[in-house]
Parts: sequence; structure tokens; C-alpha cells
Amino acid sequence: MNNRTEAGVPAYDVVWPLGRSAVLHSTPNLPLQDLTGKTIAELWDYVFHGDRILAILREKLAARYPGIRFIPYEVFGNLHGAQQRQLLAKMPELLKEHGADAVISLVGA
Amino acid sequence: MIASAFLRQAAVVAKGMGMPDMAIAEYPGVPMVESLEDLQKKVEEELLPRIVSGLTSGSGTTAKAMSEIEPTQRAIVFRGSLEEVNDYFQRRLWSDGLPIIPPTLAKVDRFLQFTDRDPNEVIGRVPVANRLATVWNIAVNGVMSGCRPEYLPVLLAAVEAITDPAYKIEDAGSTPGWESLIVVSGPIAKELGFHSGQGVMRPGFQANTSVGRFLRLFLRNMGGFHHAPEGADKGSIGQSFLVAAAENEDAVAAIGWQPYSVDRGFKAGDNIVTVQSVVAISAPVYTGSENVIEHAEIIADVIGQRACGYWTAIGMVYSHWHPLLMLGPSIAGVFARAGWSKDDLRNYLYENVRIKASLAQRYAWYAGPTGFRIEAEVKKGLLSKAYAESDDPDRLVPVFQKPEWIGIMVAGDEGRNQSKGYVSNHTQGPPVSKLVRLTANWQRLLDGS
Repeated sequence: MNNRTEAGVPAYDVVWPLGRSAVLHSTPNLPLQDLTGKTIAELWDYVFHGDRILAILREKLAARYPGIRFIPYEVFGNLHGAQQRQLLAKMPELLKEHGADAVISLVGA
Repeated sequence: MIASAFLRQAAVVAKGMGMPDMAIAEYPGVPMVESLEDLQKKVEEELLPRIVSGLTSGSGTTAKAMSEIEPTQRAIVFRGSLEEVNDYFQRRLWSDGLPIIPPTLAKVDRFLQFTDRDPNEVIGRVPVANRLATVWNIAVNGVMSGCRPEYLPVLLAAVEAITDPAYKIEDAGSTPGWESLIVVSGPIAKELGFHSGQGVMRPGFQANTSVGRFLRLFLRNMGGFHHAPEGADKGSIGQSFLVAAAENEDAVAAIGWQPYSVDRGFKAGDNIVTVQSVVAISAPVYTGSENVIEHAEIIADVIGQRACGYWTAIGMVYSHWHPLLMLGPSIAGVFARAGWSKDDLRNYLYENVRIKASLAQRYAWYAGPTGFRIEAEVKKGLLSKAYAESDDPDRLVPVFQKPEWIGIMVAGDEGRNQSKGYVSNHTQGPPVSKLVRLTANWQRLLDGS
């Protein structure tokens, strides 16, 4: 308490209760011009029927974009399971190894 | 791709990860409760175009970064009466709904006298907002929570624990709505007035209550774990913060058991703070017999079978979980007099608390992990062979994955025969312990406080 407000009650000069942001900003890759002939990696956290959703997406995208190829989610494993940290650590390498042009990652929760 | 209810949380996470412009495709609805036909229709008609747009134009529901000016450490950000300060903090989501003590420079500086650490020292990074926890802002939030200045070393140890990567604090906003439980061990507990007796988990004792409140407030302010949609806390129902607990180390010594701190890998008499997740609390367990097995049977049933039974399924999904037994002193005494060690009790529970594999599988599926299969986890070596001793779907499998993962502490009413169980949230918030670091002149500081 340093002083009083205009109403005559004690006034408090207070400091900021948050912390400095440690966010490192990243720039996303440029979007693909066209999905024709591209390789799409499927990443799934094994929740919320993502397998059903991916099956529909796979079928519809293949019908629309000739030559589109999918790296099935089973190749990567459970994105949110017991080995989440280990999997995420090697994800950039895995995506390069499989030639992924883009990723569909689901299901967010 | 994310379901509607999580869009804002995705924005908070994307911003915290430094990718505020990441394309996010919304699935409109709740996939777990929709028919296959509805799911198919929504994917084709709404999700697919959004995914194509996200891949080819980068557009979608993006989490735009908001510019933020960060005040310098000692800058005064507001001046006003008690009510005005509280209103100001509430509007900015810097509070927790309860009145706060205004964090003035004088009050923060008083806290800092109880550590010899540099106020600028970074204790850790707090996802998902990814703000840096420092000695300074721990003191600020300690002031706000109603802590006494001398609690600062305990607050520092608690933040060290939750920012340890093993704790996975980034998942503190998950839908089960878990809370962190702080357990204080060693002489520091008595010195600071942490209560370990009757009503140990009831608000009322300043040390227990304000330190418990601090951790929740700190997570809101540093990690962004305030309520959705603005924040990253998606606890579906959630629970209140837990007051901190202390172990009744006198009772433990009297029965000849080793204290909880030793279970945690420290020496008896070390001052430590242990933090772990609690997602549910059992019913009170009353046991009364001269036959120790009868106590073990009821504890196994009420805590193991009833409280932990279903949630073990989620522990299986993540191959991890650490339930905690809080034994009343008189009950711990019954076991000790019968010659049981804590490990004997752990082994009894491991061997005798079982659940049908089919039930665990089914419950895990309901909770969301629709891709989880017990047998697959056993094949990968993530669950032990005890989970696949036969292919009978109704075979009984352990509720407690490993006996050594069962925590046991002694607290509560010495004059009653009650215990309780605290159910942890698998890999999210396993017990993490840190030493409480005191200054060389600690006793003199304490005497003068």
C-alpha cells in the first residue's frame, strides 16, 4: 500500500503476474499448389474414430487427385500414446524418410 | 483436424508452439457420439473441403497471434483499491475467481528474502502458453495466492516439479480435469505449519490451502490453463484445486515405516516437495479389524476396484499410472504391527485387484482412445504379459500395473480408522519430487518472520 485512491481508500501499485513468453515462432511451409501426385502422411493419436475419418478422407482425396499417395498412420504409431515423446522426436526424420509432402494430423482434443 | 469444441484450445496451443498461422480444419461436432452415417456426411461435406483448403492454401481456422507487450519486472501495471485491483486482474484472466492479495513490490520483495536465488532465475518453461517461470513471478503469484513469504522455497520446489518434462504439464488441460496434489515432506512441513492430521485435505490451514491454491493460479497464469474458450483448460467437468498435504512423519516413525520421502528416493529428514496428478478421489475407506487381511480386502475393494477400477483402462492406454493411498495413521499402524511393509501392501493390491480385460477395453474406447487394443500394447512391450495371459476377453488383468507405482503416505485423523485413495492420470502428472532449497540463514529468517 503506497497511497490512497481518490475515494480515500488504500491504493495498491501492483506488478505483472505473468512470465516472459518463451515462444519460438515458426513459419509454416508454403502450402501445396495441388495435391495431384503428392504424398500425404497420416498422423493419428488413436482417439475419436480417426481411423474412420482417415479412411473416408483417403478415399475421397484419391478420387479427386490422381497419383496422390498416403503414408498410413500405422507407419508412425500412436501420436498420443505411451511413446509420444520418442515418436515426436523422430517425426521430422520419419517424414523425410517417407517422402511426405504434407501431413494430415488428427484428432485434436 | 480438430473437433469444434477444441478450436480455441488449438489456437492457444498453436500460439504457444510458435505456429499461430497453422491451418486447422474443424470437424463440426462430437465424433464419439455420432452415427457412422453422420460422421461420413460431415467428413465428406465439411471436413474434406477444409482439409483441402488447409493443405493447398494454408487457410483454415487459424490461430492468429496477438501482439503482447510484456511489462518489465518491477513495472507497475495498475494502481487501485483492493477491489479495483481484483477487478483488473479478473478481467485480464490473471486471477482464479477468488480475491487475490495485490502483488506490490514490497510484498514480492519480502518473499524474495526467503531465497538466495536470483529473482531472474528461470525455473522452467510452462507449456502450453510457454511462459517462463522465474523466482520473481513465482513470488508474485505466491503473494496473490495468500501465501506467507516463508513458503517461497516450497513454491519454488513445486514449480521445479511441474516444469520437469517428466510431469507433462502440457497435458494439464486434458478433458479428465486432473489437479496437481502437492505433498510436503521433511521438517520444513512442521516449520511452516503444514497440517497432516484430521481434515488434512480440507481448506483452512494457511500453508496447505494457499500453497495448493498457488499451483492452480500459477498454471493459469503461466501455462494458460484457464477455462476454455479463452484458455487451454478443457477439463470437461474438472475439480477444484487441492490443498497441499503433509505426511504425518511422527506417526510413520512410531510404527517403524519409512516416510514417503524415502519412497521417493530421498533421505529421511530431507525437505522435499512431491507433486502428482489427481483425477479422482475414492470414497472414504473405513476398516476395522484385528485381522490385517480384512483391512487389505476393503482397501483393495474401495480404492482399487471401485475408485481405480475403470480409470485403470486409461492407465493401460498410456502404460503408466501412479495411484496414491493416503492411509490413516491408525490403519498404517495395523499393517505395521502385523509385520506388513508398504511393499507388502502394494503387492497385495497388485495381486488382488483385477478387472475384466473386456471392460477395460470398452471403457478406454468410450473415453476416446478408439485405436487402443490391450493385446497390441502387450506385443509392443508397453504392458506386461500379465495383461495377455489368455485370449479370453473376460480374463482378469491387473488394475495396478506395477506394485512399485502405488504411492503410500500416512495422514489424516489419528483418532479415526479412515483412509482414502487418490487416482492419478496416467502419464499426465506422475509423481515428481524436488528438494526444498533453504538459505544458509533460514532459521534466522524464519524466527524473524
